[in-house]
Amino acid sequence: MRRFIIRVLAGLIVLCNSATAQSQVTVSKNFVKRPFAVTGFTGDPTVAGQLTDVLKSDANLSGCLKVVPSAEAEFVQQGNVRGDRSGLTVECIVTQQTTKKTVLSKSYPGSAQDLRRLGHAISDDIVKAITGQRGIAQTKIAFVWTHGRVKELATMDYDGYNIRELTYDKSISVHPRWSPDGKKIIYTSYLSVFPDMIEADLYTHQRKRLASFPGLNSGADFSPDGSKIALTLSKDGNPELYTMDAVGGGFQRLTHTRGAESSPTWSPDGQSIAYVSDDRGSPQIYLMSRDGGEPTRLTVSPSYNTEPSWSHPPPDSDMKPMIAVTSRVGGRFQIGLYDSGTHEVRPVVDDDADNEDPSWAPDGRHLVFSKMRQWRTRLYLLDVVTGEQVELPAIEGGASEPSWGP
Amino acid sequence: MRSRFVSHAIILTLVATLGLTGCKNFHWPWQKSHPSDQGGAPGEPPPLTGNGIENGTRPIVTGELPHGQFAPVYFDFDSARVKPSEVSKIEAVASWMKSNSSAKLVVEGHCDERGTAEYNRALGERRAGAAREELVRMGVEAERITTISYGKDRPADPGHDEASWAKNRRCEFSAIKE
Repeated sequence: MRRFIIRVLAGLIVLCNSATAQSQVTVSKNFVKRPFAVTGFTGDPTVAGQLTDVLKSDANLSGCLKVVPSAEAEFVQQGNVRGDRSGLTVECIVTQQTTKKTVLSKSYPGSAQDLRRLGHAISDDIVKAITGQRGIAQTKIAFVWTHGRVKELATMDYDGYNIRELTYDKSISVHPRWSPDGKKIIYTSYLSVFPDMIEADLYTHQRKRLASFPGLNSGADFSPDGSKIALTLSKDGNPELYTMDAVGGGFQRLTHTRGAESSPTWSPDGQSIAYVSDDRGSPQIYLMSRDGGEPTRLTVSPSYNTEPSWSHPPPDSDMKPMIAVTSRVGGRFQIGLYDSGTHEVRPVVDDDADNEDPSWAPDGRHLVFSKMRQWRTRLYLLDVVTGEQVELPAIEGGASEPSWGP
Repeated sequence: MRSRFVSHAIILTLVATLGLTGCKNFHWPWQKSHPSDQGGAPGEPPPLTGNGIENGTRPIVTGELPHGQFAPVYFDFDSARVKPSEVSKIEAVASWMKSNSSAKLVVEGHCDERGTAEYNRALGERRAGAAREELVRMGVEAERITTISYGKDRPADPGHDEASWAKNRRCEFSAIKE
């Protein structure tokens, strides 16, 4: 009898451990990485070397390619560099070994000063040619750069290179979000002492104050068509969700609760907004039509879900739209994906660190988030299909609240 | 014979229950759940601000807000409730505001460094709102009081322990004479 009980209990332990094992999202046939060889470029060896490094790094970050020697590759890259350092022409050819078919043959003009940009352009074309999916090599990430008690905004290439400061206010600037056309960033700044919502034009360097009501003007997020902004205002007494016209004005209140609403994120079709409300005690994710009305509660557990980010994969993508959140479990912060079928949040980044603030890449497959260990915060990329995390180079002082550009 | 049947039945029921409810909901007795899994302050009703008490207009401020005139009010983790022990500090502010009827007040809300950035801005705003609500109840005109939330971005104490965190979960009061 005792032996029987022991066997049953052992069986139960095995059952429980195996049931929690799967946390990957296998929604794409690109889960199988295509073996790809980068043979490089003939011509100027310095230029060729730098381009080759960028191609290999981008291929690894794409999640859909595996860099292998030519003999093992399904697709092989070759190319040449012509011209001089101020006026280059780079030709890149990718062939499928088995069929001998050329899937990419293209020339790229550039200069030795912007080799990374050139390499990224080639990489995106390579991913498109081999997998049919949209690449992320040319995208950028905006983030909050902490310098002691000062917080400025900055942008960087998606791989952590090319950091550019956006604000020099020696104040606190937070929560950056890109416009869909990539030309503007909206954020909240305390430069006036009070938290104002500001729009900065990345090309003209002009800034305008879009919302400066009493209380909070924060959490601003552009609608997918760029015509509206959802944001948090507490001008009517406590933090509520509003929309406004992106050109300014047209404020409409969406929520009416005694709790605090915050962190709006738009659905891909621009018809709904997911957001955080603590109206029932602890913060959870809710859904509201862009025109207001009754809220629908999305998440129930764990007991703290915040910072929702709704992905907008391209229409021809293998990826489905998903909402990523930051959950608090056991005092630690995890990145989770909300499952609209089961209403559960499935952890995808769950370790001994504090993982917060997910933001989706425009491919709907990668996201960037911040990871804090021993009170040092740095940015990481996550491929939700493979589950692979990539650590971006450390930034002195700390980087947080990332927002992936279009 | 019969007791054996009952034991088997109990075990089979256990297995079936686990199978139906899902293993991830099952906690072995030695797995302690973290106190904050309960949400810190579960079921705590939000403060009454937001029922039509518009925020007060911003006073004109040049440079930093003046601090130090009034004692900060401290809050429990995840909570925006004004504790009874803190009420006398708000009374001191109310009393001064009633004696200085031309002054305006800025109430700052802050959080400790735990918790996500944007939600902490909302929680800090609820803390400032709760203090403002108390002041209005004590007879200070609502339009003279405005709020600023800094979330976790302006700690009073840069430390990473309970003592530091307790000092950061606060409201601060700045009086502006216009």
